[in-house]
Amino acid sequence: MQSSTKRMGIMTDVHRRFLQLLMTHGVLEEWDMKRLQRHCYKVHDRHATVDKLEDFINNINSVLESLYIEIKRGVTEDDGRPIYALVNLATTSVSKMATDFAENELDLFRKALELIIDSETGFASSTNILNLVDQLKGKKMRKKEAEQVLQKFVQNKWLIEKEGEFTLHGRAILEMEQYIRETYPDAVKICNICHSLLIQGQSCETCGIRMHLPCVAKYFQSNAEPRCPHCNDYWPHEIPEVFDPEKERESGISKSNKKSLRSRQH
Amino acid sequence: MPRGQKSKLRAREKRHQARCENQDLGATQATVAKGESPSSANLLFGDRSQNLPAAETLSIPEALQGAPSTTNTIAPVSCTSSNEGASSQDEKSLGSLREAEGWQEDPLSKKVVSLVHFLLQKYEKKEPITKGDMIKFVIRKDKGHFNEILKRATEHIELAFGVDLKEVDPIRHYYAFFSKLDLTYDETTSDEEKIPKTGLLMIALGVIFINGNRAPEEAVWEIMNVMGVYADRKHFLYGDPRKVMTKDLVQLKYLEYQQVPNSDPPRYEFLWGPRAHAETSKMKVLEFVAKMHDTVPSAFPSCYEEALRDEEQRAQARVAARAHTAAMANARSRTTSSSFSHAK
Repeated sequence: MQSSTKRMGIMTDVHRRFLQLLMTHGVLEEWDMKRLQRHCYKVHDRHATVDKLEDFINNINSVLESLYIEIKRGVTEDDGRPIYALVNLATTSVSKMATDFAENELDLFRKALELIIDSETGFASSTNILNLVDQLKGKKMRKKEAEQVLQKFVQNKWLIEKEGEFTLHGRAILEMEQYIRETYPDAVKICNICHSLLIQGQSCETCGIRMHLPCVAKYFQSNAEPRCPHCNDYWPHEIPEVFDPEKERESGISKSNKKSLRSRQH
Repeated sequence: MPRGQKSKLRAREKRHQARCENQDLGATQATVAKGESPSSANLLFGDRSQNLPAAETLSIPEALQGAPSTTNTIAPVSCTSSNEGASSQDEKSLGSLREAEGWQEDPLSKKVVSLVHFLLQKYEKKEPITKGDMIKFVIRKDKGHFNEILKRATEHIELAFGVDLKEVDPIRHYYAFFSKLDLTYDETTSDEEKIPKTGLLMIALGVIFINGNRAPEEAVWEIMNVMGVYADRKHFLYGDPRKVMTKDLVQLKYLEYQQVPNSDPPRYEFLWGPRAHAETSKMKVLEFVAKMHDTVPSAFPSCYEEALRDEEQRAQARVAARAHTAAMANARSRTTSSSFSHAK
């Protein structure tokens, strides 16, 4: 009865409601996606079997393709949680931010982005960002105001703040990876395993290659003697655990209590 | 290996130079002819990790360069995926719509897609949409075709997302989205704002805040009248505006409507209701008001200061709440471990 997913997809109210909800949230973790998907079926098509999430998304994407939009899957850099967002395909820009923020705010974001990309740890300190406030284009911005704008970026899920330092939110990486790689081709770091943009991660002290924490976790899983895939030297950092959604729910410990895996291990 | 300071500085200078050059080139990107790049079409749909051809790298976002302009840079692309005529009687698919438009040959299709992206972004942010903004950021020199581009964009959005774009203020050309799906179900348990997207409520909250956190009824209606919404005139979208404001939104706890103390003859005023305090914030409402006036929140200095203070208080409350949760969790785990040590 259901056609294969290779055909052009069919949009029903189940998919439309799902898209509305995804848009409202901006970015969602995988278990939220599944929960909302089930909810949408319950509302519009109670007796249908719920599609596997991957098929559901592929179906939607095949319809959105002609609008140069897709639901894109990524993984958070610090603990490997799968996340999803609706991204524009055709643009190489940060167009989602462009009409949202004033000229000086956009420039503040760009300054923060540059500091983050150039940093060793993938984090830029609040102090260093705020010190650039005088160089911003557009209307003059006070430091106090700039602090507020940075908080706005955090609320809108473009930046994450940890202990007074800022890095890119997973959503920003999902949306802007292409743009970042084209705009800063010399400065960007790439993960040796997945070849995607790398902001936070671990690096080999001998040859300098870098890997995302979740990529390290997968690559060295149950390996007693982890060695650098490039130069074979002993891998000196703590190997994080592979993200397991089941284990996480059972333990019931809130995310804020988990020991931060942010590594300054370069 | 960590890069030295000098090489980083040099790289940064190179980038600035490159961007300045690209800005000049970027100004001409609007004139890229439509038929010229079939190869870039495949690159766009194919392996995205490849370097995009020169036509694409011209399109460094002008927004980040500082010039307000369109932020989309699509080379006109022929869609290569095949449509097997999948539309059924009950459900429409975008495929049939695309075919009907003769997508590949149409010079406006690029603008339609850009407008779709722009509108979806506004929808996501629950922001007001004006004709002026649409022309300024997307339509630009094609503004003679505004109506057609808007119509096609809204059709696509309606089909894919089930939301309708309607002009809520025909005088000042404000538009808003309305979901065709009934969204009264309790959809999430997250603490994201669930405030209904009725422009009416946001405007009322704005007037109340700007007026010093309470606004006489007359002041609120004065603003509504400017938008073509009158208390005692049936409105094609809001129905009975007086009832919506003084009963429905009050019942839903978004507004409070009370008699002005010691007023004789009795006059009435509006205040924020508890649900408005919970689901939105002074800063968010101020941002909405600023956008409506095509300016920024700091253009209302005393309100901005108040909104900043409110944000600080909220942040402190969040920190306190998290600390409380952490303390509870620690207490729980200590109890558990100690009970383990007792159990034999």
